[in-house]
Amino acid sequence: MPLVRLGEPGPWTNYHGTGVCEDATRHALRSGYATRGRDELAAAASDVRQWLAAAQAAGKRVRPLGAGWSPSNVNICSGAWLLHTRRFNRCFRIADSDVRPGVDSAGLLLIEAGALVDEVSDKLEEQGRSLWTSGAGNGQTFAGAAATGTHGSMVARGGIQDHIRAVQIVTPSGIHWIEPAAGLMNDAFVAATGSIALRDDDLFAAVQLPVGALGIVTALVIDSVPKFLVRPIQNLRKVDCATLDWLSAGNFRRFSAAYALDREPDFVQMIVNPFKPFKRPAMLRFLYREEWRPDYPRATPGQMGAGYDALSLLGKLLDDYPWARGALLQFAMKQGYAAGPDVDDPPVYGTWGEGLDTHRPLADLFNASVTIDRGELARVFELICAVYTRHGGSTAVTIRFMERAEGLLAPARFEHNAVIDFDGPRSQRTADAYARVVELLDREGVAFTRHWAKSCSLDAARIAGDYGDDLTRWRAARDRLLPDPAHRALFGSPVLDGLGLTV
Amino acid sequence: MDWVGWGLAALGFALLFGQYLAAQADTFVSIANPRPLDEESMTVTMRWWGLAAESHQPFVTPESDHGLCDVRVYITRKQVLTAIATFGAVRPVTVAWRAHAGILPLGDA
Repeated sequence: MPLVRLGEPGPWTNYHGTGVCEDATRHALRSGYATRGRDELAAAASDVRQWLAAAQAAGKRVRPLGAGWSPSNVNICSGAWLLHTRRFNRCFRIADSDVRPGVDSAGLLLIEAGALVDEVSDKLEEQGRSLWTSGAGNGQTFAGAAATGTHGSMVARGGIQDHIRAVQIVTPSGIHWIEPAAGLMNDAFVAATGSIALRDDDLFAAVQLPVGALGIVTALVIDSVPKFLVRPIQNLRKVDCATLDWLSAGNFRRFSAAYALDREPDFVQMIVNPFKPFKRPAMLRFLYREEWRPDYPRATPGQMGAGYDALSLLGKLLDDYPWARGALLQFAMKQGYAAGPDVDDPPVYGTWGEGLDTHRPLADLFNASVTIDRGELARVFELICAVYTRHGGSTAVTIRFMERAEGLLAPARFEHNAVIDFDGPRSQRTADAYARVVELLDREGVAFTRHWAKSCSLDAARIAGDYGDDLTRWRAARDRLLPDPAHRALFGSPVLDGLGLTV
Repeated sequence: MDWVGWGLAALGFALLFGQYLAAQADTFVSIANPRPLDEESMTVTMRWWGLAAESHQPFVTPESDHGLCDVRVYITRKQVLTAIATFGAVRPVTVAWRAHAGILPLGDA
């Protein structure tokens, strides 16, 4: 029996402590010991379908829970039945005999929905393969990270959902195996997973980034690249504001030559203190991709500069001493981020997976972001910092870069994207300041989107404007997958309902 | 002699206040590569200065057949005040842990 109930109904709090499901009935999906992955999936998906029917009969909504990382509270629904997938975490090799003719199976991996990004990285590396991008942390489930469009700052890559090649998703009306129209897995394999094949480009693009609203994702087939090494350079430098023009134009080589190595970087990230962003040193992180070789000098995640995603240690100091916010923020950046290897330090190397870490939130987290066309960065970045600090924003501001990501609802929807993150301790003042940044971008006529998993205060009207025709296509795909409105409502939550994704 | 008494009182207060602050520190033990499930916690109450320290609750962690990723022991502000107000006779401690999800070998699809 892969699906079991956990304890008595009670409150469940998400990983970052931003939301509580009161009176939640918790269930867990567990991996079994079947010899073949397809047999595991068939048993688990069948159990999930029965569980959905039971929830519907009991008049309860359901929410799938991976690592519970999303601070946006898309998964918070009091009185709901929660399905924890973390123990449904096996990964399986895919053979040539499992795929359709002409498909190369060498880079493919079948993963159960509860597998963490970290686990997937480990399993790929065992086979000489690697993810090509991911978020800054690796503690999310892969399915959960993809469901909300998580991304990093690999300048020539999109989001983590770009790895997905097929999705098994369970709804009350069936167990579906969704692939692009060109197909991937052969019919015998799909049938053995207990699924009905749906080969359709729009459906696939919808389930690549489902925001948890299209059913229970039980498995994914993901793609990979040959394993590679990255050399990190991480340093604190005063950055000239003229460099924003280089970054806006995608001239990362010039930026890298000025502050790190005179090479084309694969990853560029800049964390600035929004109080005088170009007068105080910024924390820069570069990654340079190199061919895999087995004899590289091993480094710990700390030596690789991992854990670069949030200023968790600032606590409430910034809120309690607003007059000292600029200096405190600079102190925290120096303490928290200066450990990475600089240009003159002995080089360290690691695989993509070794450069990631699972952070443990030590303070109540605020994180929000705006994704803009990279070409607008030079025009608006200083305005953003000025408005944010003037209205009490008390977090560092991070700039990341990425290409257009796959999935109809991918926030990175510009050809070249600059993602501006506001990560730090939670306070109402910071949330208000972020709202002023949104108003500023509207005033300046800058198109932007916001992350599904972060505390971005999205609403239905805004989403309709941001995603336009792609949202219409996503809804059409949803209605094909969930034609019964009662089934759509089953996967709802107050946040998802408010966004118009489940009603 | 009054100042000696006040001095001793101040010293006693400072000692007590130091204990109040220090007691709220976390003790955290973790394995190197955690694959955690949700955090669970329970309160264990030491009674009569440890003479009756055995918890009346069984310390059994659910979902822990693959072991624990990390354990955190801490005392909240309210728990410290309880311990101080009872001269240490009642000393509640919170123990929080995250069970391990398990690492299963790579299989064949």
